[in-house]
Amino acid sequence: MKIKEGFMLREVAGQWIVVPLGERVVEFSGIMTLSESGAELWRKMEQSTTQKELIDTILSEYNVDEETAKEDVLEFVNKLKDKNLIEE
Amino acid sequence: MTKTWSELYTQLASEAKKRKVFLAGSFELTARCNLQCKMCYVRHPANDKQAKEKELTTAQWIRIAEEAQDAGLLFLTLTGGEVFLREDFKILYEKFMNLGLLINIYTNGTLITPEIVNWLASMPPALVSITLYGASRETYQKVTGSADGYDRTVKAIDILIAKGLPTEVKTTVIQGNKADFDQLHNFVLERNIGLGVVNYISPSREGCNSDPCGNRLSPDELLNYEIHMTKRNEESREKNGSKNISKLEDAVSEVNPPQKDIKIPNENSDFAFRCQVGSCAGWLTWDGRLIPCGILDTPETYPLLTGFSKAWEELKQKLSLIPVCQECRNCQYNSLCERCPARLYRETGKYDEPAPYLCELARKRVEYNKVNRI
Repeated sequence: MKIKEGFMLREVAGQWIVVPLGERVVEFSGIMTLSESGAELWRKMEQSTTQKELIDTILSEYNVDEETAKEDVLEFVNKLKDKNLIEE
Repeated sequence: MTKTWSELYTQLASEAKKRKVFLAGSFELTARCNLQCKMCYVRHPANDKQAKEKELTTAQWIRIAEEAQDAGLLFLTLTGGEVFLREDFKILYEKFMNLGLLINIYTNGTLITPEIVNWLASMPPALVSITLYGASRETYQKVTGSADGYDRTVKAIDILIAKGLPTEVKTTVIQGNKADFDQLHNFVLERNIGLGVVNYISPSREGCNSDPCGNRLSPDELLNYEIHMTKRNEESREKNGSKNISKLEDAVSEVNPPQKDIKIPNENSDFAFRCQVGSCAGWLTWDGRLIPCGILDTPETYPLLTGFSKAWEELKQKLSLIPVCQECRNCQYNSLCERCPARLYRETGKYDEPAPYLCELARKRVEYNKVNRI
């Protein structure tokens, strides 16, 4: 899976945000704010990746157990799917 | 996970102020305008060749935008003059949108066609803010020199709203349109949009044959305008249940987003600017200078010569040397005074000298509130 084209991840004044670019504003007029780990996952998902790789990313960067990492990744991915931001 | 523009703005502005990050910028794309408003601070004629030659090129604006984005720019206001006079407006806007900037367009609306609205709808800005200078062709003739401007502006507002683009109407009150408030208010109520009122007219920033001070309201007239505006808003709120201004203090705030919203509460600060100037906001002039804001063009720095980041650092440093007006800080009318270093400088030639026009207005507001127990 991969994040659709037309979004930009930026760190502004210490906050991670995602802004839609150009014509993407029509379908997605809001702004997303992400946590540090959310930004990490987003960056990874700018290239094609798998759920397993995302879980590994969290496990390598944060001191959490596998179960928690799985839940967090699943929740994050589902939120992006709800917003129609992912191409499978 | 998602936030509205204003929620995000408030959160980021507060953090950007602490870190002194350039978060909000205004790009004054041109000094030329097709209207010739009597109170304007920057209005070279639309066909002024000299002014046009001094304007930054497309490539220069793009370079500044890219560098400013690197420095943190997120909230961008495009202003003029009249921005739609720029032949490259479409190129610049699309480039800025693709830099991930959230854009407000300030315009008089007269050059907005259905084609432009369709194009904007394909990549909508955060806001199109249109100044409506009066409620009739007669008033437009008096204020802007163009009766037709009224018809064209109203048409632009209506097609923007019909297309679902976020649209705001504001007005700048002067002698020539002070009688139009009720009609302007009705105009926005009929369209279910807000009306911002720019109440303060600054002495001119650039010599362009306008006469701001000769056309602005006296403090007495302005107070009466504010009282009337407040009462009418209250009446309409009672009638329509709409959210509207309820106190005089709210009614008198100048509409000039995004730079006015977040104020430093600490009156003991040695930093003279209580708005975002010099903390997280600045203004790029049509000829390439980085200045504090639209009415104050000193001090200035030069992003095209030094690079944007260095120009921003230099501007912050220069602004930190501007003295606070101690007399204003200790004044009993302080709470309802809209002073700032920019206004004091324009009114008196000094950053730290009380300006009689602002003093009188503040005193009258406080006295009115006392008598009326507001």
